[in-house]
Amino acid sequence: MSEHSQLGAYALGALDADEAREVEAHLADCAECRAELVELEELKEFLGEVPPEAFLDGPPEGGDLLLQRTVREVREAAAAPSAVATPVAPVAKKRGRWLLVAAAVVVVAGALGGGVLIGRQTVEQADGPVPGSVQVSATDAASGATMATTVEPRENWTWIRVRITGLKPGAECEMYVTDKAGKVWTAGSWVVTEQAAREGSRFGGGVLISPDQVKSVEIKTVQGAHVVTTTI
Amino acid sequence: MATTATEYFPGWAPAVTGIVPSVGDYQGADAGETFVRSLYAEHGRSLLAYATRLTGDRAAAEDVVQETLVRAWKHAADLNKGAGSVRGWLLTVARNIVTDRARARAARPAEVADVVDRPPVEGDHSDAVVNTMVVLGALDQVSPEHREVLVELYYRGRSVAEAAQELGVPPGTVKSRTYYALRALRAVMAGSEAEVAR
Repeated sequence: MSEHSQLGAYALGALDADEAREVEAHLADCAECRAELVELEELKEFLGEVPPEAFLDGPPEGGDLLLQRTVREVREAAAAPSAVATPVAPVAKKRGRWLLVAAAVVVVAGALGGGVLIGRQTVEQADGPVPGSVQVSATDAASGATMATTVEPRENWTWIRVRITGLKPGAECEMYVTDKAGKVWTAGSWVVTEQAAREGSRFGGGVLISPDQVKSVEIKTVQGAHVVTTTI
Repeated sequence: MATTATEYFPGWAPAVTGIVPSVGDYQGADAGETFVRSLYAEHGRSLLAYATRLTGDRAAAEDVVQETLVRAWKHAADLNKGAGSVRGWLLTVARNIVTDRARARAARPAEVADVVDRPPVEGDHSDAVVNTMVVLGALDQVSPEHREVLVELYYRGRSVAEAAQELGVPPGTVKSRTYYALRALRAVMAGSEAEVAR
């Protein structure tokens, strides 16, 4: 019976080596426990459907901006006529107008054909950087890394693409953008794969500043070591 | 910009059976805001940690959490506390969004080439659309003592000795609780299907 009650911890792999051996010796002789173990291991599989993060509680650290953005989106969506949470039927005249607008949207979408807008965007990107882009490159003498940086204008924000050679595989990198006022923006982080270490590591990140405000782009490791900087 | 899960799978949202709360509870900007704030306060850390692991990128993870919470607000009627797990629903939606975004990128080769270093989306939970909710819902139904030994031993990877220290009970108790916790979980999970057979 004592082996019996150890089976759960054994199935979850939580017993120490001596205890596990005891349980295994017992299992060799006990068909009932072997059958039970099969069921317990099946339950372990079920537990695997839930990620370990499911057992963290409370709000995230440093997530105030995230909450503000989310609340703003909900407010805007609630105010928009198409929002889910607009139960009140508009008066007949108004509804007629909305239907007309909706119909017009459908016609335009139909005329263009699905995917045309996405397609055009892809073509622009495939042909090279968007108009108005700025490209610079630099090599860092200390780290030996060379970075080609493209600053692409977007509507009220900026997309920054980098291609870096001379990085070590497995390096965890972060991209920082400094604007002309001296403020530093984080534009994402990534891990350098084996292939990227050989052929050049590409990364892209967006910052919420206009392209003419971008002063420099710096790559650091997650551990804080400087890798390379390009000045725009 | 990104194609959403609903566009890919119009009927994707996991159905939660039980009493459907009044959608009116969450209508209007203020109620929606309150609803989203309460989800964030309760589940934000869990969601962001999960999304960060899946995307490997805090900024991308924040976007995923934002979209998850907005979608929860739009599907407030499906999110019924007490039937199924709200957190399971949120985690499932977050994972679907990450998967969809990866898929949307794969459909646009020019952008995929831009970011070759993006960590791959984990495939380990790919078939778990409903099961995450079912299992979390079942874990909600076993006793707190049972739940905590499973969390310590399985999800936090602790040994019996470590869990005993953490929970302040003898190692023998951790072992027997683990066994009975798994049995209780089995009973809960079998409950809906096999109850008739008993």
